[in-house]
Amino acid sequence: MMIKLLAVIERDLKKFRRNPIVLAMSILMPVIYLVILGNSFQGKLTDLPVALVNQDTGPFAKRLVENLMAIQAGPRTFRLVDLTDQQKAVNGVRAGLYKAALIIPEDFSKRMTVAGRPDLGLFLDNTDSISADNIRNLILAAAASLGVDYVPIREVTNQPLLRDINLYPKVDYYQSLVPGVVIMAIFLGTLTTGAFNLVMDRFLGIDESYLLTPLTKADIVSGLIISGLGITMMNAGLVFAVSLLITGIPISRGILNFVPLFIIVALTTLCLLSLMFAILGRIKHPRIVGVLSGFLNVILFFPSGSVYPIASFPGWLKGFAAINPEAYAVDALKSVLFKGAGMMGVIGDIGFLVLFTAVMMTLSIITFKRTL
Amino acid sequence: MQNDKAITVSQITKKFGAVTAVDGIDFEVPRGEFFGFLGPNGAGKTTLIRMLTTILKPTSGQAIVSGFDVAKAPGEVRKHIGVVPQASTSDLDLTGRENMDLYGRFYGIKASERKQRIKTLLDTVGLAQRADDLVATYSGGMRRRLEIARVLVHSPALLFLDEPTIGLDPQSRRVVWDFLRKLTENAVMTIFLTTHYMDEAESLCGRVAIIDTGKIIALGSPAELKANIPGNDIITLALGKAAPPDIVEAVEKLPFAHKIKPEEGGEIRVYVDNGPKDLPALIDAVRAAGGEITSASVHEQSLEDVFIHYTGKSIREEEAKKVSFFIGAGLPQRLGR
Ligand SMILES: Nc1ncnc2c1ncn2[C@@H]1O[C@H](COP(=O)(O)OP(=O)(O)OP(=O)(O)O)[C@@H](O)[C@H]1O
Ligand SMILES: [Mg+2]
Repeated sequence: MMIKLLAVIERDLKKFRRNPIVLAMSILMPVIYLVILGNSFQGKLTDLPVALVNQDTGPFAKRLVENLMAIQAGPRTFRLVDLTDQQKAVNGVRAGLYKAALIIPEDFSKRMTVAGRPDLGLFLDNTDSISADNIRNLILAAAASLGVDYVPIREVTNQPLLRDINLYPKVDYYQSLVPGVVIMAIFLGTLTTGAFNLVMDRFLGIDESYLLTPLTKADIVSGLIISGLGITMMNAGLVFAVSLLITGIPISRGILNFVPLFIIVALTTLCLLSLMFAILGRIKHPRIVGVLSGFLNVILFFPSGSVYPIASFPGWLKGFAAINPEAYAVDALKSVLFKGAGMMGVIGDIGFLVLFTAVMMTLSIITFKRTL
Repeated sequence: MQNDKAITVSQITKKFGAVTAVDGIDFEVPRGEFFGFLGPNGAGKTTLIRMLTTILKPTSGQAIVSGFDVAKAPGEVRKHIGVVPQASTSDLDLTGRENMDLYGRFYGIKASERKQRIKTLLDTVGLAQRADDLVATYSGGMRRRLEIARVLVHSPALLFLDEPTIGLDPQSRRVVWDFLRKLTENAVMTIFLTTHYMDEAESLCGRVAIIDTGKIIALGSPAELKANIPGNDIITLALGKAAPPDIVEAVEKLPFAHKIKPEEGGEIRVYVDNGPKDLPALIDAVRAAGGEITSASVHEQSLEDVFIHYTGKSIREEEAKKVSFFIGAGLPQRLGR
């Protein structure tokens, strides 16, 4: 019966509307996160995958590769993957396989000795601007040392010029945080709607009356999830719009990709709502939600790759990121926003989110009891 | 299917760990009856109602409510009953009218019908003026009246009321009593009520079950229950100190004294045929045995006396709810369902 389900949904919407401060806070807080995070992160990166295509057999190319190998062995910032096909390397960067592709052209050594400017091609995945900056600086240093060793006098003119080709429209660190902030807004929304209303009703003892009516388990669970979905998506949409404005990402990009973005946000919301339901399904005290919220936020948000690249994580944390729904959500949003990927480009992320939601929903229905 | 019975309960039991809250209870309530459960705090009244209304699983035993087994067809039972739980269950963030409307919708009642019924009911319980204020701004008594009105939105044929007049002032209690009495007048509605107010049970209920520590210790109409106790009146004598055995003996010898109950604090209760007539002789007998009387009172038997007659006490301490020290309140106390 629709009328019952609608009643459950409307109750939550009414309650939410009567708490305008909650609405204001759930929009303001993620935006403040954006500003604070954008200014507070530094760290060391290791093992970033970099594709190397060496088409030159001359001494300078050999020298350059040796320098790069030294970095790989020493600070281990990147890990070189030897490729022969330039196109394959660039495609690999597009697909997210490599953080960068370095192309040493055939005539590199020749142009180094003969007058003229030697050229290197560097394709960077600049949606991850921290990794991109790091890689660019190290390769510049490796190339610059060639000049110092062999032609010290003509240092300036003969220094190899790194032709930095950004694969995607320029994304600075601030902008690259936007997906994370949207995910944060979704997280906060799902934490204070859905299953949380259940916990509050239990704490206030008013769940007893609801259980006494003909409402079915499905009415209760889906009603709470649908109202949570509506409220959270509205919040996330507003946060999204505000973040685009303050970081200068063209709004048109949001509008052009509206359908995939909408689907990603909706799925992520469902995913987190069902996760909360599975965790909070039998909790009776809001204090436990408070304690859990801080914990969940840290363990889901920071390893999501939204602030710092997943490539920089140690193995065990990478393993965790592989089952973290927020990591898939961030990846999908970044692909759509910064790489222009369509639905097909993020099908893997979407598949994971659907699977995760299905598992958590099943778990929620098992744990939720329709008795006191 | 027993069509003439609204409730049939056999050997129903509920255990909470070591505590047996309801201990093998049997009873039947015919349709159209106003049936009361009378018992002190912790007697098991709420636990019994929760089992009969499907939100608590019985440990053992069976209950048929409105023709359906509470364990096998809880959904069907819920469709046919209305319940006012003991604790307040109004949503404070909604107005009185919204609260009622919400419940109307849970039962699938059409909008136009809902609107009309809600208006009438709010009028009846005297909340028409405040219907569109948030329940958070209501007094305790107003909330209680709202809950009683709310339970009638879907016109259930069987009503469960767990201490419905708790927290109401004497005037509101009268209003609620009259209202409930009217509901059963034409014998379409069955009401199951729990209370620890003797006067409430006596003035409303056709039959009363007295429950103590999870067991029914007496069941019958108020008149029948009173007739079970010897004597018609009760004289309470305050003796200043604990009654010595010879005083009790002396009183027992009196022909009109049916039963003597020494109480704590030096009181004795004597069950006699005719209080006002027998009082002087009783006082003489106590004085002759060396007792000093500081006060004496005579009253007609009430359910309270029936209660005291059967249990020996009027009010009992409620036992604390068992919550694991390690887990604490708020978390599920057990795994599984
Ligand atoms: N959820 C529970 N867990 C453990 N024990 C419980 C639980 N609910 C009730 N009890 C115990 O069961 C017994 C009966 O409680 P119940 O609430 O049914 O009493 P009651 O007759 O309704 O009392 P009151 O008049 O105070 O409302 C008490 O000893 C109580 O401590
Ligand atoms: Mg009770």
